[in-house]
Amino acid sequence: MNPPMTPQDYAAAVREALADLPARDRETLLEDLDEHLAEVAAEPGMSLEERLGSPEAYAAELRAAYGGRPQGGGDSSLGGRLRERVTGAVRRVHTRLLVLPPYRQAAVFAPELRPAWWVLRGYAIALGVLAPISAPGLVPGDIPAWVFTLAVVWGSVWLGRRGRTRESRWGRVLLLGANLLAAYLMIVVMANVPSTSSRSVAFDYGPQPEMYAPGMRVERVSSLGGDVYNIFPYAEDGTPLHNVRLYDQDGNPIMVEQGFDQELVIPCDGEPPIRNAYPLPLRPVEHRADPTEPEATCVPATPSPTLTPTPTPTPSGEPSGSPSPSATPTR
Amino acid sequence: MDGSQLLKGVLDLAVLAVLAERDGYGYDVVRRLREAGLEDVGDASVYGTLRRLYKAGALTSYVVASEEGPHRKYYGLNDVGRSLLQTSAKTWTSFAATMNDLLKEVDPG
Repeated sequence: MNPPMTPQDYAAAVREALADLPARDRETLLEDLDEHLAEVAAEPGMSLEERLGSPEAYAAELRAAYGGRPQGGGDSSLGGRLRERVTGAVRRVHTRLLVLPPYRQAAVFAPELRPAWWVLRGYAIALGVLAPISAPGLVPGDIPAWVFTLAVVWGSVWLGRRGRTRESRWGRVLLLGANLLAAYLMIVVMANVPSTSSRSVAFDYGPQPEMYAPGMRVERVSSLGGDVYNIFPYAEDGTPLHNVRLYDQDGNPIMVEQGFDQELVIPCDGEPPIRNAYPLPLRPVEHRADPTEPEATCVPATPSPTLTPTPTPTPSGEPSGSPSPSATPTR
Repeated sequence: MDGSQLLKGVLDLAVLAVLAERDGYGYDVVRRLREAGLEDVGDASVYGTLRRLYKAGALTSYVVASEEGPHRKYYGLNDVGRSLLQTSAKTWTSFAATMNDLLKEVDPG
């Protein structure tokens, strides 16, 4: 430290302090630094450090003056302009969204999740690679698979910790591809897991009719096996109970599937029967002779009195006023 | 307020103005800016600004061999630099007028 630095020493120290800049940028910036420093050193009286401060401070000032725009006006290729436009748009949206407190908190928190992403992405890629050669599953099948998975996770974390500044353009493209692949694999796995598990649950409950597709389970109903199609509850003393509502442990109504020869009686003028109120009002399906006749969708509550037309009084003005037109007058 | 903070915003304009007067090499530009009254202008700031303007295509550069000392890289304005100087000067003039207007009631003491 004691002997004054030569312009070459000073320039080398400045170069080192700017080592993280992309190589081409650094060369453009520092191209004639040596000549410039020689000029400053030629000034009599003071050493370079006394005149300019430490090389690190000099480098920081250079960096600030050169600007946070290492691309400058340089990249005028179509891809470069497109990328600038896209990143510009993303940045504008980001700035606008920062007004929302939840987004702001998420934006602050997100960088802390990056190590977790590195681990997860390595794991996903390893499982994706292993998938064709080992048993499918969410954990590696055997010890070699575990070793391979851990190695890939380690590599992924190493890549993440190294940072992005030193990557070449192809390195960045490759990394982006790996990230996208990992995200895709995770989405595929997540999309598959719930459907397989719900299928096995449905199987546990017993065979389901074809029409009871997994997509209809959003109703969140429990269902018993196909063999039971009605339930007749009785009290302790043997009295039959009516309108007993059954629910499962989660509060979902328990419903049974009607057999194909039974149908629910739906009154025409009342509420439709509650599907989990037992015993259900069932009746055998009538096989109509004429299949073109529209199926009756409801059942009248009482035998309909209105069906018989009211007899019209005869215009003869008979005092007896018999309502029956069929009654033959005898005189 | 620190003068160097203000200088940051207008260093481009100052460098362009100095070069419009006549071409110069890096350290020459630093010296001329200091002689003009910008005493605390940083050497690295001027050098970095010159390189940035050059890269942005506002400056020409040529090397002049000198008998004593190293070769010197001179910078000068090209058409882009001249039009940049013109628009920046216009912006500065209206900005300065606005500031003067705002401050005319203030007694600097």
